[in-house]
Amino acid sequence: MTTSQFLISGWTWNVTSIALIVLSLVAYLVVFRDRRRIGWFTAALGVLFLTLISPINTLADGYLFSAHMLQHILLLLVVPALFLLSLPRSLSLAVRPHFLGHPFAGWVAGVSAMWFWHAPSMCNAAVSSAPVHALQTGSLLVLGSLFWRQILAPRDEERLSPPGAIMYLFSACVTCSVLGIIITFAPVTVCSIYSMPPANHLELLQTIRSGWGITPERDQQIGGLLMWVPMCLIYLSAIFAQIARWFSESKTPVSVKI
Amino acid sequence: MNEITTTLERAGLLTAAQREHWKMAWLSTVDHKRIGILYMVTGLVFFTVAGMEAMLIRLQLAVPNNTFLRPDTYNMVFTMHGTTMIFLVAMPVLFGLANYILPLQIGARDMAFPRLNAFSFWLVPLGGILLHFSFLAGGAPAVGWFAYAPLSETPYSSQLGVDYWALALLVLGIGSVGTSINFIVTVLTQRAPNMTLRRLPLFSWMIFVNSFLVILALPILNAGLVMLLIDRQLNTHFFLPLGGGSAIMWQHIFWAFGHPEVYIVAIPAFAILSEIIPVFSRKPIFGYEFVAGSTVAIVFLSLLVWAHHMFTMGLGHTVDLFFVASSMLIAVPTGVKVLAWSATMLGGKIRLDTPMLFCVAALIQFLVAGLTGMSHAVAALDWQTKNSYYLVAHFHFVFVGLIVFAILGALHYWFPKMSGRMLSERLGKWTFWLMTIGFNLTFIIQHFLGLAGMPRRVYTYPDLPGWGWMNMLSTIGAFFMAAAALIFVWNLGSSLLRGKLAGDNPWNAWTLEWATTSPPPHENFHELPPIRSRRPLWDAANPDRPDPIVGSKWKAEITAPEKNKAGVIAFIFSETGFFGVLILAYLFYNARPQPGPGAQDLNLLKTGFFSLALFASSFTIWRSEVNLQRGKQRAMTGWLAATILLGGIFIIGQSIEYHGLYKSGVSVSSNLFATTFFTLTGFHGLHVCVGLILLLLLLGLAFAGDFKDGHSPALKAIGLYWHFVDVVWVFVFSVVYILPRI
Repeated sequence: MTTSQFLISGWTWNVTSIALIVLSLVAYLVVFRDRRRIGWFTAALGVLFLTLISPINTLADGYLFSAHMLQHILLLLVVPALFLLSLPRSLSLAVRPHFLGHPFAGWVAGVSAMWFWHAPSMCNAAVSSAPVHALQTGSLLVLGSLFWRQILAPRDEERLSPPGAIMYLFSACVTCSVLGIIITFAPVTVCSIYSMPPANHLELLQTIRSGWGITPERDQQIGGLLMWVPMCLIYLSAIFAQIARWFSESKTPVSVKI
Repeated sequence: MNEITTTLERAGLLTAAQREHWKMAWLSTVDHKRIGILYMVTGLVFFTVAGMEAMLIRLQLAVPNNTFLRPDTYNMVFTMHGTTMIFLVAMPVLFGLANYILPLQIGARDMAFPRLNAFSFWLVPLGGILLHFSFLAGGAPAVGWFAYAPLSETPYSSQLGVDYWALALLVLGIGSVGTSINFIVTVLTQRAPNMTLRRLPLFSWMIFVNSFLVILALPILNAGLVMLLIDRQLNTHFFLPLGGGSAIMWQHIFWAFGHPEVYIVAIPAFAILSEIIPVFSRKPIFGYEFVAGSTVAIVFLSLLVWAHHMFTMGLGHTVDLFFVASSMLIAVPTGVKVLAWSATMLGGKIRLDTPMLFCVAALIQFLVAGLTGMSHAVAALDWQTKNSYYLVAHFHFVFVGLIVFAILGALHYWFPKMSGRMLSERLGKWTFWLMTIGFNLTFIIQHFLGLAGMPRRVYTYPDLPGWGWMNMLSTIGAFFMAAAALIFVWNLGSSLLRGKLAGDNPWNAWTLEWATTSPPPHENFHELPPIRSRRPLWDAANPDRPDPIVGSKWKAEITAPEKNKAGVIAFIFSETGFFGVLILAYLFYNARPQPGPGAQDLNLLKTGFFSLALFASSFTIWRSEVNLQRGKQRAMTGWLAATILLGGIFIIGQSIEYHGLYKSGVSVSSNLFATTFFTLTGFHGLHVCVGLILLLLLLGLAFAGDFKDGHSPALKAIGLYWHFVDVVWVFVFSVVYILPRI
């Protein structure tokens, strides 16, 4: 199978995923009268489509650890961020119970999603079992939303102030970088299922190994590096946005008590 | 002696009352201004040493096949030159400058922790003496300032030089972290009323941001140095491939520190440029927010790109590719700065006094350094030029072209404030032109030498076409720089004695340090001008057209945390980096089972029990704090004693474990499991012991009745530290004891 053949035939036309994407668009239109930010929502759905339907999904399904990592990053960091940006600015996201709204809970949600699903047994299970895979996808979206809520909540007063947000993002970035570094330089296989992909698609496997030149070792390295560098850059971009917010002109001055 | 006291007194650096004991007045000082000057004088002394080493290097390289220095002598001189210039010149001088200026700029009376400040300073001479003592102890280190393993390991460097090198850097590293914690807490807690964080002058803002980089990056080096010392002193194999270790690991650790280190000394230089260029262009800085924000961006990006120092190490195309891309990103925030400084000068009424001349030259030379730096970010080009003089030229354009020039600019700019007297403008111009001609003569040519193929780190070279005269020119340039340095020192001395009186604000500058006398009184300010913008003195001088008011938007820019708590939190950040490296090293070295002792030899249940004692102590110290707040002195003392008891039980448990392992023949050098195990748990144990000593001190104070008013920042701060030590153990316990069993 050549690369172009794969790009044409490698789509996962999964009915459940498509139905979910369409339904959520309908739900958005029904629930919100204020639709000025629908662009963000369609962007979120577009990325979701790319993640779950496009050839990335096929590759992540047992062939390439690095493709799985790309999916992981998109589902945890990009889709939830775009989703939160799509919400009307007046919407309050105050949650009950109260501790779920605590920054520490958000931080743990975002970071633990990374570490938990990359424990070797969990990583393997998510590829080999469909229900676990569905659980993984769902949990990444939920945990990612909990994480970003502290930064991107529609109401300004429900977000962290810039210094806190920078610490929040930077520490998350470091924690994920550390995992990325471990995966990149680990002398052992992290997700062993990818070194023995399904035997029924030997053609694609051959394209990957000899056509693209991705050996299992290099695959794991790319996966680790994706988490170490580009993923960290997503957090850094958010940090830059916080710096801009910090220095932006004040609309509502805080009263200074001396 | 009398002359010195007279000079110091006349320059306002000594009060009449201190005349009799002027040495003690300076040696025992905790005043930030005197500590700042001590830092800078120490830096100047070591600059003389390292400068002479540079001259020796250039003399040896002046002609091909030279035999002026023996190869191993050359290696020592070359190592000491690099190490001294970075750790004993650039860092102390910049820390000293910040020490002097930062509290003044924010309208503070002193640093947040004056005694810690003095302690951090005195570690610099200690580190310097340790490093140079190696000359007497069998020879200085000869392994380069980067001390690559395995060359730096005992089989290849059996003399004590490397041990002194590592010890000295450890001492200096601790001092740097101490100072930086002090800077952070000073900016957070000691600002004058109305000096909100968003009104900080750029110099102070950048030193503040840079201090975070120091406390994050230096501990990484400290962890590596500790591992190197353990290797050398206890015969272990962290970085020795012979015993299963990894020499590449040293490079990762060193450059994970080393790349941020470049910015640790470059950001203060940026800070100086951002302060001087506007004053001498008679315009406020162009794009304050962008200059301030891009500094934060540089700090974060610099932590992410160290692998570009290792392109020639064979990390593989995949790794290279990612770091080519991320390294190039750094050009964006640095480019923003260069543009902002240029735009500040554009259309300004530029006054080309000596400070400004140095800054303009620094700006141009930094541009060159940045461009050659970008060429190194391209891995393919880097392979060709990394080990040549092209790289030597590149980093000297950063370290000398930017940093030394900025420092010289800053000294000419702030000397009047420190001494009350102007430096001679005529001598200053001589210094500048000799320095600029000399520097460019020395280092521009080295780009071409490198492209012609001359390798770096060599003690001599064959007589190839062009190499001889290019090296000779380079050496001649170095003598120009030496002459400039001599004139500068002469200028310092003569101006201190006979310089023109400066007055409060000789440059018509706008920040608060110029609102007090030169030199400032012991308490810095008698009265502060109103602060509404980033240029309070401009507002005061031009009441009809003041700067727009910088409003307050965030609570964090006004409120100040409790200083002890802030200090301990900064310290905890730094310690997290140290333990993080040790834990990562443990994971890396134990990823595969190895012959000899392993995690299976550890007793999970026994250690689990002792760990419970440690975890429980977090609860007891919390109860102690709560009882103190409620004013229940006795209950507080009781819970405190219980904490000490539980911590003691943990330490006893660890001793029993060590004893058992030792009796069954497991020692630190048995294999890499044993090495990493003892290193990681040992350093944790050491932290527990330090915590116990602090708690015992608190208990003593409690018995002495110190906490009667129901409020103690000390208990809160030490409590935080104690919780941190417990949290570290959660990670250590999971990684060492639990992970291998699942």
